[in-house]
Amino acid sequence: MKSKTIQITLIYIMISLFVTIICHKLLASFISSKENFYFFIIKDIIFILITGLVFKYILSKNESKNVSIFEKLKQTNEEIKESNEKYDIVAKATSDTIWDWKIQEDSINWNKGIESVFGYKQEEVGKTSKWWFDKIHPEDSIRMSIKLYSFIEQKTEKWQDQYRFRCADGTYKYVLDRGFLLKDENGRAIRMIGAIQDITKQKEEEQRLKLLETVITQSKDSILITEANSINGKIPKIVYVNPAFLQMSGYHSNEIIGKSTNIFNKGPNSDSDELKKLLRAIKNEEECLIETISYTKHKEEYWVRFSMIPIFNNEGVISHWISIQRNITDEKKLETEKEHLIRELTQNNKDLKQFSYITSHNLRAPLSNLIGLLNLTEDIPIENPELKEILTGFSKSTHLLNETINDLVKVIIIKDNPSMQKEEVSLKEVFENVFSQLSFQIELHKPIIKLKFDRVPLLNTNKAYIESILLNLLTNSIKYKSENRKLKISITAEQIDHQVILTFKDNGIGIDLERNRDKVFGLYQRFHNYPDSKGLGLYLVKSQVETMGGTISIESEVNIGTTFTITFKN
Amino acid sequence: MLEQILCIDDDPITLMLCKKVIAKSSFSKEIITAPNGEEALHHFNTLKYNNKNKVSKKPELIFLDLNMPVMGGWEFLDHFTSKAYSEFNTAKVIVLSSTIDPHDLAKAKKYPIIIDFLSKPITKPMLEYLKKKMEL
Repeated sequence: MKSKTIQITLIYIMISLFVTIICHKLLASFISSKENFYFFIIKDIIFILITGLVFKYILSKNESKNVSIFEKLKQTNEEIKESNEKYDIVAKATSDTIWDWKIQEDSINWNKGIESVFGYKQEEVGKTSKWWFDKIHPEDSIRMSIKLYSFIEQKTEKWQDQYRFRCADGTYKYVLDRGFLLKDENGRAIRMIGAIQDITKQKEEEQRLKLLETVITQSKDSILITEANSINGKIPKIVYVNPAFLQMSGYHSNEIIGKSTNIFNKGPNSDSDELKKLLRAIKNEEECLIETISYTKHKEEYWVRFSMIPIFNNEGVISHWISIQRNITDEKKLETEKEHLIRELTQNNKDLKQFSYITSHNLRAPLSNLIGLLNLTEDIPIENPELKEILTGFSKSTHLLNETINDLVKVIIIKDNPSMQKEEVSLKEVFENVFSQLSFQIELHKPIIKLKFDRVPLLNTNKAYIESILLNLLTNSIKYKSENRKLKISITAEQIDHQVILTFKDNGIGIDLERNRDKVFGLYQRFHNYPDSKGLGLYLVKSQVETMGGTISIESEVNIGTTFTITFKN
Repeated sequence: MLEQILCIDDDPITLMLCKKVIAKSSFSKEIITAPNGEEALHHFNTLKYNNKNKVSKKPELIFLDLNMPVMGGWEFLDHFTSKAYSEFNTAKVIVLSSTIDPHDLAKAKKYPIIIDFLSKPITKPMLEYLKKKMEL
């Protein structure tokens, strides 16, 4: 540029000089004074040189101004270009969906987000704002459009809104939409550009947190959160308490938040050992569960079950404590009542047992004398037949009384002895013992007895009880056999998992279970008019089975037979 | 045959039965009785202090009831097994009772002096069994 200025200046000077020289040549032909001639020529040359310099100065000034304007323009241009490029890059990179709405023409353009976020293909996307509004959830659309139009009419400063936007697959996404207006020279809104952000995840998370929060706010248990650090071995400062805590303790939250004491009020009846346990756990940053009496603001006592749980952050440093408390006053009351009741019942039971021992002792003492005396008479010859008859009757009754009392005694002892000793018992041996005790009856009636217990050779049980059980059942089978057919008894033992099932089946006269099902195992229940039945056998059997932790059931049909099923743990 | 046995029981009929059955089965030459533990201890005290010079008979076996007025069987045993009666407590004790309380049975096992726990009434077979047991 500079050279151009100089060039122009030089051309100007040359032309001027040329014109000057021509003028002077012409003038010289008319004017002869040599003195004036040189004077004028020097003056003209000086004039031309000065004007040339001025001309050059002006030109160069102008030039530099132009250059700076040009530079500025160039810069602006480049900035615009760069900004456009940036916009393109951002629009491509952003997860937001960007829309550009020409309001007067009602034409709206969407960037690729409409496809990548909401699943609409380019051809599905409408060109007008109606398409946009149609996609907004009906519950949100009125509120949203009111806000949007008041913004366009420039009643509001800013526009941003949350609403649900329908995706191509029909589901809704929560979105945050933010926009700004472009105005013409009259200040009229002509264009609006916005960005839609998918906040479904945040919204869902928010709702999840809200739901979780209801656990705390709605919980009937008191929940409070404290700071991590305790000062002077006290309970750390409280950061939060839920409504249940306020209700339980009677405090207002402003009386509690930020305080370090008063998680519960110590009082005369508080368990100081439990409180020490709690403070120790806080010091050691350990979980802790205590129960103690606490006091409300108004000094009312209540029982509280109190847990403190330390919360650790990612670095494993304790950040808070969470405490859950439950008012267990009613529970405690019930517990005390229950304990009291149990104590009372235990005592009553003990007294009754003692009473039954004393009664039976007092019955047995004179009875044993009677038996002893009768034994003595056996050795004395009695001449009088009537006296002999009387003594025989006397002896029979006495022995029957003795048997009855002995049976009752057995019952009492079984009931008193729930934890009797168990041992490995061989079923074979048990049967041998039982059969030898009944050898007379077996010899007399010759029943067909089938035994099948090779699968359970050993049984962990009480020997005396299992013998008594089998003896009673076998005696019953023989006693209540059918007169019309030969007595058949089958006894099987099977082991299923940890249970032994003993089945005892006969073909005797049976029991009418429809009438007697609930009485079968009862005390003094008799179903057949037999002279020597006392109604004790099955009661004893059931007591003994149950004392050993087993169960017994019966199936019976009149004149067909009876089956007992006994189940033991082995 | 034993020289002397002692029956402690508050029931006179039981004592009578004891005497008769023991006599019939020739179990012992002499039978002395006491109605309760205290009287029995008194008997031993008398033996100890009054007949210091004379060598008198001591019971070799004691039939002991448990439920008695004034002093019961257990209390008697607690005294009898103490040092004070060391010259007498070489005698064996058989509990003869009508009790069915399992605690009594369990307790009896804790006293080495008790060699058996039998149920009333006393009978001849019972005495035969005892003879065998004591190797008489």
